[in-house]
Amino acid sequence: MPGLTRAVGVPRLAGIGYPMSRPLGRPHDRDGQRAVLRATLELLEAATRPDHYVELPFQWPETVAQARNASKGVPPAPIAALLYRQPWLIPRLYSGRIPTLP
Amino acid sequence: MAIDSYRFVDFATRQIMKAWAARQEPGEIPFTPLAKPLQECTVALVSTAGIARNDDRPFDQEGERRDPWWGDPSFRRIPLGTTEKDIRIYHLHIDPRFGEDDLDVVLPMRRLGELARDGMIGRPAPTHYSFMGYILETTELMEKTAPAIAASMREERVDAAVLVPV
Repeated sequence: MPGLTRAVGVPRLAGIGYPMSRPLGRPHDRDGQRAVLRATLELLEAATRPDHYVELPFQWPETVAQARNASKGVPPAPIAALLYRQPWLIPRLYSGRIPTLP
Repeated sequence: MAIDSYRFVDFATRQIMKAWAARQEPGEIPFTPLAKPLQECTVALVSTAGIARNDDRPFDQEGERRDPWWGDPSFRRIPLGTTEKDIRIYHLHIDPRFGEDDLDVVLPMRRLGELARDGMIGRPAPTHYSFMGYILETTELMEKTAPAIAASMREERVDAAVLVPV
Protein backbone atom coordinates (compact mmCIF):
# COMPACT_ATOMS: atom_id res chain seq x y z
CA MET A 1 0.00 0.00 0.00
CA PRO A 2 2.37 2.71 -1.19
CA GLY A 3 -0.17 5.45 -0.48
CA LEU A 4 -0.14 4.71 3.23
CA THR A 5 3.63 4.17 3.38
CA ARG A 6 4.29 7.44 1.59
CA ALA A 7 1.94 9.30 3.91
CA VAL A 8 4.01 8.13 6.87
CA GLY A 9 7.09 9.73 5.29
CA VAL A 10 10.00 7.52 4.20
CA PRO A 11 13.34 8.44 2.59
CA ARG A 12 12.85 6.29 -0.51
CA LEU A 13 9.83 4.31 -1.64
CA ALA A 14 9.29 1.79 -4.41
CA GLY A 15 5.52 1.50 -4.90
CA ILE A 16 4.12 -1.75 -6.24
CA GLY A 17 0.54 -2.71 -7.06
CA TYR A 18 0.70 -6.19 -5.57
CA PRO A 19 -1.78 -7.61 -3.04
CA MET A 20 -1.03 -7.74 0.68
CA SER A 21 0.87 -10.81 1.87
CA ARG A 22 2.89 -11.04 -1.36
CA PRO A 23 4.98 -7.87 -1.70
CA LEU A 24 7.77 -9.53 -3.72
CA GLY A 25 5.44 -11.54 -5.94
CA ARG A 26 4.20 -15.10 -6.18
CA PRO A 27 5.83 -17.95 -4.28
CA HIS A 28 8.62 -19.65 -6.24
CA ASP A 29 8.65 -16.95 -8.96
CA ARG A 30 12.37 -16.33 -8.50
CA ASP A 31 12.81 -14.17 -11.59
CA GLY A 32 9.83 -11.99 -10.68
CA GLN A 33 10.95 -11.59 -7.07
CA ARG A 34 14.50 -10.75 -8.11
CA ALA A 35 13.25 -8.12 -10.59
CA VAL A 36 11.20 -6.44 -7.82
CA LEU A 37 14.13 -6.45 -5.39
CA ARG A 38 16.58 -5.25 -8.04
CA ALA A 39 14.30 -2.33 -9.00
CA THR A 40 13.86 -1.46 -5.31
CA LEU A 41 17.61 -1.50 -4.61
CA GLU A 42 18.19 0.82 -7.57
CA LEU A 43 16.49 3.58 -5.57
CA LEU A 44 19.36 3.56 -3.08
CA GLU A 45 21.61 5.17 -5.66
CA ALA A 46 18.97 7.02 -7.69
CA ALA A 47 17.45 9.00 -4.82
CA THR A 48 19.01 12.32 -3.92
CA ARG A 49 16.44 13.72 -1.51
CA PRO A 50 13.81 12.44 0.97
CA ASP A 51 10.38 11.25 -0.22
CA HIS A 52 11.90 9.89 -3.44
CA TYR A 53 9.03 7.87 -4.91
CA VAL A 54 9.09 5.49 -7.86
CA GLU A 55 6.27 3.28 -9.06
CA LEU A 56 7.53 -0.09 -10.20
CA PRO A 57 6.09 -1.22 -13.54
CA PHE A 58 5.17 -4.75 -12.47
CA GLN A 59 1.54 -5.88 -12.89
CA TRP A 60 -0.08 -8.52 -10.69
CA PRO A 61 -0.97 -11.41 -13.00
CA GLU A 62 -4.43 -12.07 -11.50
CA THR A 63 -7.70 -10.19 -11.21
CA VAL A 64 -8.73 -8.72 -7.85
CA ALA A 65 -11.26 -11.54 -7.45
CA GLN A 66 -8.63 -14.19 -8.14
CA ALA A 67 -6.17 -12.61 -5.71
CA ARG A 68 -8.82 -12.43 -2.98
CA ASN A 69 -10.03 -15.97 -3.63
CA ALA A 70 -6.50 -17.23 -3.09
CA SER A 71 -6.83 -16.15 0.55
CA LYS A 72 -10.34 -17.45 1.12
CA GLY A 73 -10.65 -19.21 4.44
CA VAL A 74 -8.10 -17.05 6.24
CA PRO A 75 -9.75 -15.96 9.51
CA PRO A 76 -10.46 -12.23 9.85
CA ALA A 77 -8.00 -10.19 11.90
CA PRO A 78 -9.05 -9.83 15.55
CA ILE A 79 -9.86 -6.13 15.08
CA ALA A 80 -12.07 -6.93 12.06
CA ALA A 81 -13.94 -9.59 14.03
CA LEU A 82 -14.40 -7.18 16.95
CA LEU A 83 -15.75 -4.39 14.76
CA TYR A 84 -18.14 -6.80 13.08
CA ARG A 85 -19.57 -7.58 16.52
CA GLN A 86 -19.37 -4.00 17.82
CA PRO A 87 -19.67 -1.71 14.79
CA TRP A 88 -20.11 1.37 16.98
CA LEU A 89 -16.34 1.14 17.61
CA ILE A 90 -15.53 1.68 13.92
CA PRO A 91 -15.15 5.47 14.27
CA ARG A 92 -12.40 4.83 16.82
CA LEU A 93 -10.38 2.91 14.27
CA TYR A 94 -10.96 5.62 11.66
CA SER A 95 -9.87 8.37 13.97
CA GLY A 96 -7.00 6.54 15.65
CA ARG A 97 -8.45 7.00 19.15
CA ILE A 98 -7.27 3.67 20.45
CA PRO A 99 -9.03 2.39 23.56
CA THR A 100 -6.71 1.04 26.23
CA LEU A 101 -7.78 -1.91 28.31
CA PRO A 102 -7.95 -1.31 32.06
CA MET B 1 0.22 8.25 -7.92
CA ALA B 2 -0.92 5.87 -10.65
CA ILE B 3 -0.97 2.74 -8.48
CA ASP B 4 -4.23 2.11 -6.65
CA SER B 5 -2.75 1.28 -3.24
CA TYR B 6 -5.95 -0.29 -1.98
CA ARG B 7 -6.99 -2.23 -5.10
CA PHE B 8 -6.88 -5.65 -3.52
CA VAL B 9 -8.48 -4.87 -0.13
CA ASP B 10 -12.16 -4.75 0.76
CA PHE B 11 -14.18 -1.53 0.94
CA ALA B 12 -14.01 -1.12 4.72
CA THR B 13 -10.23 -1.63 4.84
CA ARG B 14 -9.78 0.81 1.96
CA GLN B 15 -11.72 3.51 3.79
CA ILE B 16 -9.79 3.01 7.02
CA MET B 17 -6.38 2.96 5.29
CA LYS B 18 -7.25 6.15 3.40
CA ALA B 19 -8.33 7.83 6.64
CA TRP B 20 -5.05 6.81 8.32
CA ALA B 21 -3.01 8.07 5.36
CA ALA B 22 -4.84 11.41 5.42
CA ARG B 23 -4.12 11.81 9.13
CA GLN B 24 -0.34 11.33 8.95
CA GLU B 25 1.90 14.29 9.62
CA PRO B 26 5.36 13.01 8.70
CA GLY B 27 7.23 16.21 9.49
CA GLU B 28 10.85 16.18 8.39
CA ILE B 29 11.70 12.96 6.57
CA PRO B 30 15.18 11.60 7.32
CA PHE B 31 17.52 10.96 4.42
CA THR B 32 21.04 9.58 4.41
CA PRO B 33 22.78 9.35 1.03
CA LEU B 34 24.67 6.13 0.34
CA ALA B 35 28.21 6.48 1.69
CA LYS B 36 29.73 4.18 -0.92
CA PRO B 37 28.79 2.53 -4.22
CA LEU B 38 25.89 0.07 -3.96
CA GLN B 39 28.11 -2.78 -5.16
CA GLU B 40 30.19 -2.36 -1.99
CA CYS B 41 27.24 -2.06 0.42
CA THR B 42 26.08 -4.53 3.06
CA VAL B 43 22.28 -4.68 2.87
CA ALA B 44 19.80 -5.82 5.52
CA LEU B 45 16.10 -6.60 5.10
CA VAL B 46 13.26 -5.78 7.50
CA SER B 47 9.87 -7.44 6.98
CA THR B 48 6.61 -6.57 8.72
CA ALA B 49 5.24 -10.11 8.27
CA GLY B 50 5.85 -11.03 11.91
CA ILE B 51 8.35 -13.79 11.10
CA ALA B 52 9.90 -15.76 13.95
CA ARG B 53 12.18 -18.76 13.79
CA ASN B 54 10.80 -21.95 15.28
CA ASP B 55 13.65 -21.97 17.81
CA ASP B 56 12.82 -18.38 18.85
CA ARG B 57 9.99 -16.83 20.89
CA PRO B 58 6.71 -16.60 18.90
CA PHE B 59 5.04 -13.21 18.45
CA ASP B 60 2.16 -12.72 20.89
CA GLN B 61 -0.91 -13.56 18.83
CA GLU B 62 -2.95 -14.36 21.94
CA GLY B 63 -2.31 -10.88 23.31
CA GLU B 64 -3.77 -9.38 20.14
CA ARG B 65 -6.74 -11.73 20.25
CA ARG B 66 -7.43 -10.65 23.85
CA ASP B 67 -7.10 -6.97 22.95
CA PRO B 68 -7.56 -6.45 19.19
CA TRP B 69 -6.38 -2.83 19.51
CA TRP B 70 -2.95 -4.10 20.54
CA GLY B 71 -0.14 -5.49 18.36
CA ASP B 72 3.08 -7.11 19.59
CA PRO B 73 5.76 -4.38 19.14
CA SER B 74 8.81 -6.64 19.60
CA PHE B 75 11.13 -7.87 16.84
CA ARG B 76 12.95 -11.04 15.87
CA ARG B 77 16.33 -11.61 14.26
CA ILE B 78 16.32 -13.80 11.17
CA PRO B 79 19.82 -15.02 10.38
CA LEU B 80 20.82 -15.24 6.72
CA GLY B 81 20.19 -18.77 5.47
CA THR B 82 16.92 -19.15 7.37
CA THR B 83 14.29 -20.69 5.12
CA GLU B 84 10.54 -21.21 5.21
CA LYS B 85 11.17 -24.58 6.90
CA ASP B 86 12.63 -22.77 9.94
CA ILE B 87 9.97 -20.12 10.57
CA ARG B 88 6.34 -19.25 11.19
CA ILE B 89 4.54 -16.06 10.21
CA TYR B 90 2.48 -14.52 13.02
CA HIS B 91 0.95 -11.38 11.44
CA LEU B 92 -2.83 -11.84 11.88
CA HIS B 93 -3.86 -9.42 9.10
CA ILE B 94 -2.31 -11.19 6.12
CA ASP B 95 -2.44 -14.61 4.53
CA PRO B 96 0.66 -16.24 6.04
CA ARG B 97 0.61 -19.21 3.68
CA PHE B 98 2.44 -17.49 0.82
CA GLY B 99 5.45 -16.55 2.93
CA GLU B 100 5.44 -19.89 4.74
CA ASP B 101 5.51 -21.57 1.32
CA ASP B 102 8.36 -19.34 0.06
CA LEU B 103 9.97 -16.98 2.56
CA ASP B 104 11.35 -14.79 -0.22
CA VAL B 105 7.81 -13.52 -0.84
CA VAL B 106 8.04 -11.49 2.40
CA LEU B 107 11.78 -11.54 3.25
CA PRO B 108 13.84 -11.98 0.07
CA MET B 109 17.14 -13.13 1.56
CA ARG B 110 17.89 -15.64 -1.21
CA ARG B 111 17.15 -13.07 -3.92
CA LEU B 112 19.41 -10.61 -2.10
CA GLY B 113 22.17 -13.23 -2.12
CA GLU B 114 21.69 -13.71 -5.86
CA LEU B 115 21.97 -9.96 -6.47
CA ALA B 116 25.19 -9.96 -4.41
CA ARG B 117 26.56 -12.75 -6.61
CA ASP B 118 25.54 -10.69 -9.67
CA GLY B 119 27.60 -7.82 -8.26
CA MET B 120 24.70 -5.42 -7.68
CA ILE B 121 25.33 -5.16 -3.92
CA GLY B 122 28.34 -6.04 -1.77
CA ARG B 123 26.78 -8.67 0.45
CA PRO B 124 23.64 -9.47 2.41
CA ALA B 125 23.94 -8.71 6.13
CA PRO B 126 24.44 -11.73 8.39
CA THR B 127 21.16 -10.86 10.17
CA HIS B 128 17.76 -9.66 8.93
CA TYR B 129 14.74 -8.59 10.98
CA SER B 130 10.98 -8.85 11.32
CA PHE B 131 8.24 -7.29 13.38
CA MET B 132 4.45 -7.26 13.21
CA GLY B 133 2.71 -5.06 10.65
CA TYR B 134 -0.25 -4.23 12.88
CA ILE B 135 0.80 -1.97 15.74
CA LEU B 136 -1.59 0.92 16.32
CA GLU B 137 0.16 2.20 19.43
CA THR B 138 3.67 2.80 18.16
CA THR B 139 5.52 4.17 21.22
CA GLU B 140 7.45 0.97 22.01
CA LEU B 141 8.07 0.27 18.33
CA MET B 142 9.56 3.73 17.82
CA GLU B 143 11.40 4.07 21.13
CA LYS B 144 12.69 0.53 21.72
CA THR B 145 12.29 -1.80 18.76
CA ALA B 146 13.49 0.43 15.92
CA PRO B 147 16.57 1.71 17.82
CA ALA B 148 17.48 -1.87 18.82
CA ILE B 149 17.29 -3.00 15.20
CA ALA B 150 19.35 0.00 14.08
CA ALA B 151 21.99 -0.72 16.74
CA SER B 152 22.20 -4.35 15.64
CA MET B 153 22.64 -3.22 12.03
CA ARG B 154 25.40 -0.84 13.02
CA GLU B 155 27.21 -3.67 14.82
CA GLU B 156 27.11 -5.67 11.61
CA ARG B 157 28.25 -2.65 9.58
CA VAL B 158 25.09 -2.51 7.49
CA ASP B 159 25.11 0.29 4.90
CA ALA B 160 21.51 0.13 3.70
CA ALA B 161 18.23 -1.36 4.94
CA VAL B 162 15.28 -2.37 2.78
CA LEU B 163 11.93 -2.42 4.56
CA VAL B 164 9.37 -4.82 3.18
CA PRO B 165 5.86 -3.86 4.34
CA VAL B 166 3.53 -6.77 3.70
